[in-house]
Amino acid sequence: MKIAATGRNVVTLVLVLAACLAVVGLVALAFGGAHLSLREVWAGLRGESSAPEASVIVRQIRLPRVLLAMLVGAALAVSGTALQALLRNPLADPYVLGISSGAALGAIVALWVGGRVATASPLVAFGGALATTAWVYFLGRRAGRLASYTLLLAGVVTASFLSAAILFVLTMLSTRDVRGVAFWLMGDLSVVTESHLRVLVPVVVAGIVALYFFAKDLNVLLLGEEEAAHLGVNVAWVETAIYLLASLLTGVAVAVSGAIGYLGLLVPHLGRMVVGSDHRTLLPTAALGGAIVLVISDTLARTIVAPAELPVGAVTAVAGAPVFIYLLRRTAGS
Amino acid sequence: MILRHSQPSPVRRRLGAAHSPPRRKLGGKLARTVALITVFLGLAVVCHSARRVADQTGRSVEIPERAERLISLAPSITETLFALGLGDQLVGDTDYCEYPPEARLKPHVGPVLNPSLERIVALKPDLVLGSREANRIETADQLERLGIPVYGVTAQTVDEMLSSIEDLGNVLGREAEARRLVRELRERIDRVERRVANRPKPKVLFVVWYRPLTAAGPRSFVADVVRRAGGVSISDDLSGEWPRMSLEEALRRNPDVILFPRAESFAPSPEDLTTLPGWRNFNAVKHHRLYFVSDTIIRPSPRLVDALEEVASFLHPELDFSGREKSR
Repeated sequence: MKIAATGRNVVTLVLVLAACLAVVGLVALAFGGAHLSLREVWAGLRGESSAPEASVIVRQIRLPRVLLAMLVGAALAVSGTALQALLRNPLADPYVLGISSGAALGAIVALWVGGRVATASPLVAFGGALATTAWVYFLGRRAGRLASYTLLLAGVVTASFLSAAILFVLTMLSTRDVRGVAFWLMGDLSVVTESHLRVLVPVVVAGIVALYFFAKDLNVLLLGEEEAAHLGVNVAWVETAIYLLASLLTGVAVAVSGAIGYLGLLVPHLGRMVVGSDHRTLLPTAALGGAIVLVISDTLARTIVAPAELPVGAVTAVAGAPVFIYLLRRTAGS
Repeated sequence: MILRHSQPSPVRRRLGAAHSPPRRKLGGKLARTVALITVFLGLAVVCHSARRVADQTGRSVEIPERAERLISLAPSITETLFALGLGDQLVGDTDYCEYPPEARLKPHVGPVLNPSLERIVALKPDLVLGSREANRIETADQLERLGIPVYGVTAQTVDEMLSSIEDLGNVLGREAEARRLVRELRERIDRVERRVANRPKPKVLFVVWYRPLTAAGPRSFVADVVRRAGGVSISDDLSGEWPRMSLEEALRRNPDVILFPRAESFAPSPEDLTTLPGWRNFNAVKHHRLYFVSDTIIRPSPRLVDALEEVASFLHPELDFSGREKSR
């Protein structure tokens, strides 16, 4: 462990990362399709701009989007961290385990049956995430315990099956609906409303805080289930709770932002490189780190081809795959 | 780019700066403010500054009485606005708006599917015009949330294209121009239909994309145009807008004429296509009746009628449709 998880250290770490996040967030507010000077951005943010458009652009378009990126990034990274510890497998993340695909399929089926991706689907997406979770969890249990590799493989197969199902539903949708879904599937933060944030803020914050209460259990689980049981952890209950919380975080994130890959896989790795694998420090690091990474990615997505936009999922994938390969070789070498 | 356009001029900015300090001295200014508000309210009542209407897609939209700053979110709408003489009021359009050439010079707000909301806001439009077929409903919802009214049109047939022109004319105060334009277009359509009326109807396959073979469904401009141009679309019984068709089935139905959209994105030449496996067996290939049609055939703009005349001349080469110059 590189940073001992004393209370003071954790608080300092959180404060430093939160300050970084605030700076990144402010910088992100200065970029976008419309060219605003820094002075206009600042005036717009404080609602004192002489041009009402600047205020609308900064406060109603950029700010909600930056907040959404923070929430989704934190949710996915924390979910990935918890799943990697739970399965004692560094490859685990919401996407590998099929949870994201389940959420996506739920949202698309909702659209197919009626309604729109933007409005009705978060609930259905969460339902899809939960159903997938339950199914993979059921497959991954052996004699009342989670079998790490079985669960991982069950997740991979379920994810590919669900992807096929998504393709099937996509061919059934009208061209008009497919257009909206295609954006969302690639990971897209551009459709954000206050009602999204109103749901997301409490759920994500509560989910992360709840997982934090299991930080010590996650540490013990890393030693193995037997050892955890010997140390007095109620393994079955703890595993179920962690798994459900991770699904909840993934479900709400996917419902709003679609499939944003690599975040849940890589941010925990990067976090461990910096602070080690004590989850009392790693979980807050992952939360804030995930938020920072996604805000940066989305700012790039908004500006690289402005006034057009890239789906943020494409940015995280393009940046994430090389980082992953780097980490892989580094680990293999050591 | 936009802000360069919409940024308050130095003069205005200086004016703004000069005006702001007195605002803080409340005292006697209050009375003036109240008076101003009263005047504005009075004006608002007199002018009846906005009206609420249902647009073509069924959404309820509050439309300013005089929309001076318009943004078009679809190439077809841009073309229609210029045809109605509203080019000067157009303050922004999409990256794909290329016709008429003046449309290219307008500030662009991004692609049709995901335009930049920021740029739209920065252009300070009174009204944004969108198309149900081209745009995403999410875009309209988001703009409405930002307080920008979005009027939506929809058209999937030639007749609906004409009525969307009339509709835009009504909404934007160009009723007379719209009526005149629609009358002209109708005359040209009628002329084509009269000429092809008693001719044999060739079987037509419109290839939207050849790999996989994607045809035009019954409810599309293509099907409507082919019908009016005196042909029979062999994909009329399929469902969906752009259904896929197996090559076997296409060969079995054996079209006399194969049409392709003449778009930059459609790369293959007729030679490439005729060497594809199976394609040699098409009657159309044997008789060299492969044609590239102006891509306005899938665009609900006045130029759809150009495409109609072009298709009619391909289907009935013996007839003369040169009543009007073609677009390309």
